[in-house]
Amino acid sequence: MAERLIIETIDLWKTYDGVEALRGLNLHVPAGSICGFLGRNGAGKTTTMKILLGMARPTSGQARVFGLAADSPQASLEIRRRSAFVSEEKELYSYMTVDEIIRFTAALFPRWRDDLQERYLRKFELPLTRTIKTLSRGTRTKLALLLALCRGAELLILDEPTSGLDPAMAEEVLQALVRHGGGEELTVFFSSHQIAEVDQIADHVVIIDRGRAVISGALDDLRESFRRIQFVFDGDAPQTTFRAPGVERVVRKGRVLTVLSSAGADAIVEEARALQPRSVDVVPVTLREIFLESVSAED
Amino acid sequence: MLWYKSWLDTRWRFLIGLGLLLCSAAATVLTYPQILKLLQIAPQNVGGVFAQQIRESVELAREYRGYVWSNWFRQNLAQWATLFAVLLGTAGMLAHSGGAIFTLSLPISRPRLLGIRAATGLAELFVLVFAPSLLIPLLSPAIRQSYGVETALIHSACFFIAVSVFFSLAFLLSTIFDDPWRPLLIALAIAFALALVDKLLRAPAFSLYRVMSAETYFRTGHVPWGGLLASAAASALFYYAAVANIVRRDF
Repeated sequence: MAERLIIETIDLWKTYDGVEALRGLNLHVPAGSICGFLGRNGAGKTTTMKILLGMARPTSGQARVFGLAADSPQASLEIRRRSAFVSEEKELYSYMTVDEIIRFTAALFPRWRDDLQERYLRKFELPLTRTIKTLSRGTRTKLALLLALCRGAELLILDEPTSGLDPAMAEEVLQALVRHGGGEELTVFFSSHQIAEVDQIADHVVIIDRGRAVISGALDDLRESFRRIQFVFDGDAPQTTFRAPGVERVVRKGRVLTVLSSAGADAIVEEARALQPRSVDVVPVTLREIFLESVSAED
Repeated sequence: MLWYKSWLDTRWRFLIGLGLLLCSAAATVLTYPQILKLLQIAPQNVGGVFAQQIRESVELAREYRGYVWSNWFRQNLAQWATLFAVLLGTAGMLAHSGGAIFTLSLPISRPRLLGIRAATGLAELFVLVFAPSLLIPLLSPAIRQSYGVETALIHSACFFIAVSVFFSLAFLLSTIFDDPWRPLLIALAIAFALALVDKLLRAPAFSLYRVMSAETYFRTGHVPWGGLLASAAASALFYYAAVANIVRRDF
């Protein structure tokens, strides 16, 4: 049975004043997943999130959330009713107190979770009577997360949710997301520069580069399919071109030939037998290596 | 809660404006006895456009009704209320208020957001115009004068409808520019230019300030319906342009 998609974009383009922010983005986020959205600065992560929430309109292509067209004003209202967003800047109403903004937000969401509100107020140690402008960036981030987590949303869209947090608090937030995501009918779509964070909590990953998804899929599948294969020869490594599928990169250095594959190692090892390597070593590839490889491919 | 947020966005401008205008209205009334004494030594034979207007003000001030109209509805209220109409029109707009992205992530349509923001601003402007103007009939007995409540209400209503044009203009400009300063400065520059034209051409028939002060009502007892309708139409046009602009733009 096909996976139910919560977020789907098809050939999505967005141009701002002649600059292409998105260039045919295809994105598939399955229901119930925790999907990490990785990309360099300016790759199009925030633009994608804004289009999904109706804050920006696509130049062409389609963006669907819960099967609803994100560029339709009416559908966008329904999307925002069922989702929560935390922006990278965590900008909230600076003149409101913590208590006021919680009451303000709760009033707009009939499924607001008072139990979660109490839990996160205690856990994040948020001062109810302080105005937001007096809060540190970290505390503001925690407040923004509380406002998102308590809405009873089916989809959390988080733009760099842990930016501005110390490592201990970042860990606490990540754990909260995992618990929240695991225990609820919830899909989490979050961007991050911290690959370790994505590695830690995501079960799906999308890597975006220059407005296009270059890698997309379940993290376990990626870990399974990406391999680094190292051949050591008696003399200098031979110049060769592999015909096997999934060869992402070939590096020759003295007696060593290294191949990065996105489709397992078997076919490449088999093909390399004809070159008579002295030894063959197949090692798994980390998400960090996959990321660096995929975003540097066009450089 | 959206109304409450809108109130929080604008409350300081409104409260400062209300305080200033109430003081100004009270001062207008309470200084009338001194003005009457000064009228006796006012020069009669000076030339020039502005001197003519001063002379006209002096003549109007000989009668309390004329004094209130000239000093309050045509001058003090016109200056202060125009300033605060522009300030209220530019307060807390989406593009330059902290938390705009947070607001846009909430399940509220942009036209509704703007509608509530405009309604709050207009309600505050209504109070800024009516409250100090109604203070005048209340305070007048203190200086042994009287001013009709009905007259104050009619002048206030005309004033409110006309000054709303500046509110709506500032509102529209705020949806065009991302910073809070340009809408404010452009709207004030336009208000100043119109005031200058009004002074130099001695309140021509098409003048917004003439409608604002309800000069025809003061002089002839006729409400300036044409000017009021034109003002309301201009306000509505600016408002719909603001909504159309905010609905189509990216954030």
